Amino acid sequence: MQILIIILQIAVLLAIVLLHVAYVTYFERKIIGHMQVRMGPMLVGWHGLLQPIADGIKSFFKEDIIPEQADKPLFMAAPVICLVTMLASLAVLPFAKGWALADINIGLLFIFAMSSLASYGVILAGWASNSKYTFLGGLRSMAQVISYEIPMGMSLIGVMMLAGSLNLTEIVEAQGTSLFSIYLFPQIIGFFVFFVAMLAETNRVPFDLPEAETELVSGYITEYSGMRYAMFFMAEYIGMMVMASIGTVCFLGGWNGPFAIPFFPPFWFILKVYGFLFLFIWIRATLPRYRYDQLMALGWKLLIPLSLLNVVLTGLFKILAN
Amino acid sequence: MFNQILFLYCALVIISTGLLAVRFKNPVYSVLSVLVLFFHMAGLYLILNAEFLAAIQVIVYAGAILVLYLFVMFLVNLRQELKVERFIASHRVSAITSAALGICLLAIIPSFKLGAKGAYPVERIQQLTHTKAMGFELYSTFILPFEIAGLILLIAVIGGLVLARKEREEGCNPGTDTCEVKK
Amino acid sequence: MKVQYKPKRNLLETIFQVEILQGMALTLRKLFSPPITRQYPLEKPPMYPGFRGQHALVRDAVTNDSKCIGCMRCATVCPSRCIHIQYHDDENGKRYVDEYSIEALRCVFCAYCVEVCPVGAITMTEVFEYSDYDRDAIYFNKGALLENWDKFIEGTGYDESYVNPFWRPRGVNASTLPAAQRKSVPADWTIEGQFVGTKVRQEQETEDMAPMEESNV
Repeated sequence: MQILIIILQIAVLLAIVLLHVAYVTYFERKIIGHMQVRMGPMLVGWHGLLQPIADGIKSFFKEDIIPEQADKPLFMAAPVICLVTMLASLAVLPFAKGWALADINIGLLFIFAMSSLASYGVILAGWASNSKYTFLGGLRSMAQVISYEIPMGMSLIGVMMLAGSLNLTEIVEAQGTSLFSIYLFPQIIGFFVFFVAMLAETNRVPFDLPEAETELVSGYITEYSGMRYAMFFMAEYIGMMVMASIGTVCFLGGWNGPFAIPFFPPFWFILKVYGFLFLFIWIRATLPRYRYDQLMALGWKLLIPLSLLNVVLTGLFKILAN
Repeated sequence: MFNQILFLYCALVIISTGLLAVRFKNPVYSVLSVLVLFFHMAGLYLILNAEFLAAIQVIVYAGAILVLYLFVMFLVNLRQELKVERFIASHRVSAITSAALGICLLAIIPSFKLGAKGAYPVERIQQLTHTKAMGFELYSTFILPFEIAGLILLIAVIGGLVLARKEREEGCNPGTDTCEVKK
Repeated sequence: MKVQYKPKRNLLETIFQVEILQGMALTLRKLFSPPITRQYPLEKPPMYPGFRGQHALVRDAVTNDSKCIGCMRCATVCPSRCIHIQYHDDENGKRYVDEYSIEALRCVFCAYCVEVCPVGAITMTEVFEYSDYDRDAIYFNKGALLENWDKFIEGTGYDESYVNPFWRPRGVNASTLPAAQRKSVPADWTIEGQFVGTKVRQEQETEDMAPMEESNV
C-alpha cells in the first residue's frame, strides 16, 4: 500500500514536471520573442498555447536516426543517462513542508552527485556520435563541468555552515531566523557565485559553449533526432528547474513567504522557481556567449577564490556571533 | 536479509565490472565500467549507513576524477587501438603467479576479526547523521592525519601550478583589456 | 601604439557589472514594447510601387494576344539568359511570335526586360506567392504568362495600362519612351534622382572644398 502511494506520488510529480518543461519552453520562446520585439509562437492554438504539445508530438513521431559510424549502445544510452539523473534529483526537493518524495539527510550532496553524473550523458553523446561537432561539444562540456562544479559546491558551503545541515528541509527551516528569513543577504557572495555557476552547470547562455550553435552546429546533440533529441531537451530544462529549486531552497527561503497561502503550501516555492526561470530566460535574451578562455578564467580565477572567501567570512561571522 | 542480498549484488557487480574494466579493448568502455563500479561502491557505503561517504564517492570519483580520465582519453587518438607487448611471455607463468596470489588472499580471510565496538554504534550515527559524526571525528581524533593529507594535496597543487606555468610572451595578452600592437 | 578596446571602469562598476545590468534593463524595457511582427500568411504585406514579382505578358484587348513583337531585346539584355523566344517571319516581313518562355527559377528579377521592352509587352506583377512542388509549374510559357496577367488584373483591378513607372531605363529622355512608360514619377525618381551616385558625387565635391578634417578614428 505504501509503495503504491509512493508510486502515485512519483507519477504525479513526473507529470507536473514534464508539463512544466513543455510550458517553460513555450514561455522561453514567448519572452525572448517579445524582448526581441517579435511575437514568438502564435499559430498553434490561441497565441500558440498548444505549441509545446505539437512539438512533443512531432519529436515523438520523428524518425530516430543513428549515424552509421556511431557507437550504438552508448549513443542510445547517453540521453537516458541525462534524463534519468536529472529526474532522480527531483526526488529530494522539498516543495513545501513535508512535500518531498525522499527527505534524505544528504539532499544537497545527492543533487550535486546527480548533476555531475548528468554530464556523462553529454560527454558520451559527444563521443559516441562520432562527429567532430558533437565531440568538441562533449569536450567543452567536460571542461566546463569540472571547472564549475567546484565553485558551485563551495558557494553552498556557506549555506551549509549557517544551517548546520545538508537536509534541504532543515536548510529551509533554519532560514527562519535570518534577515527576511532568507539567506540571500548574509550569503550574497555565495549567491552570486552560485548563480553564475548555476548558469554554467545547466549549459545556459552565456555559458552555452557545449552547444554553441554558431560554432558547433548544435554541439553534443548535433547527431540526435526525434525522441532522443527531446530527451536531451527535457533533461536541460529539468536541470534548469532543479538548479532554480536549489537556489530557492538555499538562498530564498524555500516555501516560506510573506504570508501563508491556504490549501496550496508550495505557492511561494513555485513562485520563486518561476522567478529564477524568468531570470534564466532574460539573461539568454540579453547576453552574448563567453569565449572559452574567458569561461575558464572566470571559473578558476574569480568564482573559486570568491567562494573560498565566502566560506572564510561565514566561518568568522559564525564564531563572532557565538 | 535484505542488506545481505544488496551486499552480495554490489560485491558481485564490483568484481565483474573490475574485471571488465581490464578486459575491454575500448578504453572508454573501461572507464564506464569503472563508473558502474564506483556506483556500487557508493551502494556498499549506503549499506554501512555512511551516506555522506557514498555521496562524496559519487561526486568526487564518478563526477570529477573519471571525467578527467575520459578527458585524457579523448585527447589521445582512440581510433587506433593500443597494442602493448605482453609483459610476461608465457601464459603458464602468469597463471601460476595469479593462482598463488589468489591462494594467499584466500588464506588471509580466516584471520579477519570484527574490531572492538567504537564510540559510534549505528543508532548514534543515525541520530547524529553520518555527516556530523564524521566531521567530529575528522576534526578531533584524526586531526593530524587530516592535516598531513591536506599538506600533501597542497604540495601537489603547487607542483601542478609550477609545471603548468608558462612565461608570458611579449605582446598581446588575451587576459587584459589592452594590447600592444607592434608597428 | 596602445589600443584601448574597452572603456575603463571603476571598481564599483566592475563589482556590479553595470554593462550587463544596462543590457538587461534594455531587454526588459523591450519586453513591454509592442512587437513589430507581421503575421504574414494571415496579414499580407503592403505592396510598394516598383515591386518586381511574377512575370506576365500583357494581354492586348484588341488581338486578345500578347503585345510582343519579337524584337529579342529582352532575351538579349537578360543577365541570366532565362528568356527564350521563337518566332517566324512571313513573306511580307511581318513577324509572328510562336513561343515566349521564361524560366522563372533562373530569373534574378532585375526587370531589365521590362525596361527595354519598346511596347510594354512584358511586365512584372505584384504577385509573389507562386511557389510550387513542381518545377514545370514555374517554367512559364506564353500561355502561362498571359494567364498570369489575367489572374493579376482580376485580383487587383489594374487594367492594360499597368506599367510600372519605376522600370524606365535611366538616363533616357522620357519623350523617346513608348507611350506606356511616359507616366510621371515622384520627384526623387526622376532621371537625375535615379542616377545613383550623382547626389553622392555632388556631396563629395562640396566636401572637398571644405578644409580637410582630422579623421583619426
